[in-house]
Amino acid sequence: MKKFLLILLIVVNAISAQNSLEFLKAKADSLYKSHNYFDAITEYKRLCFFAEMSNRLQEYSYYCNLMIGKSYKGGARFDDAVKYFFRAALNANDANSEFIAKIEMVKVNILRGTLPRASEIIHEMEEDARFLNKKDSLLYWKAWIHIFDEDWESAYQILKENQLSYEMQRICRNVIEEKYSVTFAKTISYIVPGSGLIYTGNYLQGLLSLGYNILFGYFTADAFAAERIFDGMANGSLLWLRFYRGSIQAAEKSARKRNKEIFNRALVYFQLNYDGAKP
Amino acid sequence: MTINKLIVIFLLSFLQLRLVAQRTDFDFYSPENRLKFANYLYSTNDFLRTLDEYKTYLKSSYNDTALFKYADCFFNMERYEEAAATFKSLFFNSSLEDKAKLKFYLSNFLTGKFDDFRKLAQYEVYQPEVYRDKVKLLSAISYLYEGRKVEDTTAFFEVFPDSNKAEVKSLYYLKLNPPFKSELQAGLLSAIIPGAGKIYTGNISDGITSFIVTGLTAYLSVSAFQHNHKFRGYLFAGIAAAFYAGNVYGSVASANIYNAKISIEIAKKIKFYFHSRNYYLPDLTIK
Repeated sequence: MKKFLLILLIVVNAISAQNSLEFLKAKADSLYKSHNYFDAITEYKRLCFFAEMSNRLQEYSYYCNLMIGKSYKGGARFDDAVKYFFRAALNANDANSEFIAKIEMVKVNILRGTLPRASEIIHEMEEDARFLNKKDSLLYWKAWIHIFDEDWESAYQILKENQLSYEMQRICRNVIEEKYSVTFAKTISYIVPGSGLIYTGNYLQGLLSLGYNILFGYFTADAFAAERIFDGMANGSLLWLRFYRGSIQAAEKSARKRNKEIFNRALVYFQLNYDGAKP
Repeated sequence: MTINKLIVIFLLSFLQLRLVAQRTDFDFYSPENRLKFANYLYSTNDFLRTLDEYKTYLKSSYNDTALFKYADCFFNMERYEEAAATFKSLFFNSSLEDKAKLKFYLSNFLTGKFDDFRKLAQYEVYQPEVYRDKVKLLSAISYLYEGRKVEDTTAFFEVFPDSNKAEVKSLYYLKLNPPFKSELQAGLLSAIIPGAGKIYTGNISDGITSFIVTGLTAYLSVSAFQHNHKFRGYLFAGIAAAFYAGNVYGSVASANIYNAKISIEIAKKIKFYFHSRNYYLPDLTIK
């Protein structure tokens, strides 16, 4: 009887300590859910500290680091977030947990624009035999890296070939169909000045550019025809060539600007309407 | 009632109490636990959170070590005025008095208000007994930062460590006599030979461009007049005059920019020199 009661006492003691840490964890989670990231980080750090004090760090380390990383990410402190996701990956008890932490690292690297690092992590994971069954997920995030790299064609190819997220495929396809070809805009501007601007929807600017080129081209040709070589050179170099080159540069700039608008629209759509996993 | 039963009753009562009080047993927010957690955060350099924890702790308890660390958090976050005010509260009846006083002076020094700092450095009552010479040293550095001329240079350099005296002297004279370029000279040079002023200030490519453009437009103007193309002659003369005036003005501006760059570089050099040597101060961190 005495032995039983003593065991009970020890168990209750352990439960009590466990409950207290769980209480702290619940509080931190609640702060995280209410987007109070600063306080959430404080509570997760407190949880980590007291878990270590009661020799239970192993149980909480991964979770705390992961959640601190998520909180930093929520507060747009991406550099700190990566640091804690890395710690979470190091403290993961199994391959699945490590995979989650590493994917979070990829997501944060995508958001902070360090795309080569995101690709590097994906590549390392592809090489890792433990993540062979996660191939689809890795390809999915690879597509996201391409999207943020403005390489929508590659993203679409990956998604299509591996039959991943039809919704994402549809958005990528729309962007590809909608976007302007920068090379085409420049090439047609070489042939007919201003046409690249008209192609990208800047009709007035395109027509004005065409008009200037015709006018100054005429002045230049007229001067040379009248053997006013200096005038011809001055008109040609200072006016006509300047406008000719300007029309090509403007066509390129305009195509890039339009594409940026299309890409941003697609990203906003992803942010607001896309239900799948996103960075 | 047997002894066994009594033990059972006692243990059950105890268990009940444990279960009811399980939250208060692990009060993470008790002053002691807050202090432990704050010390942990302080050791991880998370100063913003450490501040909150120490602040709450200090509301219920007095601990000069915690107060020092609290002030040090402000210091590490470069909130020097708040740091100085908090260090000041440790001036009396504290074992950390001397360290707090020196940190107070360093905080005031780092605010960049050197006149105020030097006035404070003269208050006898604020002087840390152990680090009196260090305050003098900070005061000397403040003169160097500002580039102020000192009357008694022998006494001035005396406060610096012997091993660094030569370097400090060179920094002092560099700050006093920076290798500035004369704006007047740059303007005059460009007035005589277009672009020469810019070359003098180190903008060689700009200088050559100015020389070619001004020379070419002047030549075109002369050539046009020689061939009786009056309009073209006046047009290029006007352009040449504009380039010429621009080149003189640009040379003066170039000298101005050059001098500003030199000033910034010297200030940076001096700051880096003393900062990298921790202003010759001892380690003031506490465990």
